Amino acid sequence: MPIESIAAAAASGFTPMTALADTATTGAAAGTSGAGGANGFGDAIVGALDDLSATHNNVDVLATKAATGQLPDVHDYTIAAAEASLATELTVAVRNKAVEAFQSIMNMPL
Amino acid sequence: MATFPVLSTMANGISVFRTWMDAIGDNLANLNTVRSTDEAAFQARYVVAEAVDYGSAGVSGVGTGSRVAGIEYGSAEGRLVHQPDHPLADEDGMVRMPDIDMATQMTQLIQAQRGYQANLAVVDRARDAYLAALQIGK
Repeated sequence: MPIESIAAAAASGFTPMTALADTATTGAAAGTSGAGGANGFGDAIVGALDDLSATHNNVDVLATKAATGQLPDVHDYTIAAAEASLATELTVAVRNKAVEAFQSIMNMPL
Repeated sequence: MATFPVLSTMANGISVFRTWMDAIGDNLANLNTVRSTDEAAFQARYVVAEAVDYGSAGVSGVGTGSRVAGIEYGSAEGRLVHQPDHPLADEDGMVRMPDIDMATQMTQLIQAQRGYQANLAVVDRARDAYLAALQIGK
C-alpha cells in the first residue's frame, strides 16, 4: 500500500515540526498509537496513517468477501467503506493544515 | 474504532434487525410445515436483542448499540388440524401445524424493515455531519 511509504516520508520529514504536536494529537485522533502526547507531529501522523492503512485493509478484506459471496451482512462492507473514506478525509485535512502552517512560516518576511 | 463510533454502533443495530428479518423469513417459510402428531411442530423463531455496554457504558455514558442475545423458540405443540387426506395424518385424521400467525409476522416484518432503515438513516446523517465538520476552516 502506498500509505506506508507516505508514513515513512512523514516520519522523517515532519519531525522538526514539534510545535505542531499539540494540534496534531487533537486533530489526528484517528491515530490511537500516535495520540500519546509529546511524541511530535511525525509520530502522530505515522500513527494516524497506520490506523488508516488498517481501516483500508479491513475494507479490502470485506470487498473480497463480498466478491466471493462470503459476506453475511452487506452493511458491514458499506459502513466500513464509509468509515475508511471519512478517516482518509480526516487525515488529509490534518495534513493540509500542517502544510498550510508550514508554508505560512516559510513565507514569513524576515 | 474510536474516531467515528456511531458508525460501528449502527452496524451492530443493523445486524440485529437483519437477524430479525431472517427469523421472520424462516417463520413465514415454515408457515405450512406440517408434522405428524407424534412429532413436535415447527417452532417459531424469536430474536432476543440486548444492549451492548448497558449500565456499564463507556466514558460518555452511551452504549455501543445492540446485539442478538439469543433465539427463543415458540410452542412445540403447535395447532392440531383435522386433515384426514394428508399423508402424515394419524388415525384420527389430525396433523400438527406450526403456531405462527401470518398477520403478526407481516406486522413484525414491517417493524424490522423500518428499524433497519432507521439505523441506515443514522449512518447517513452521521456521515453528513462528519463531512461537514471536516469542512471547517476551508
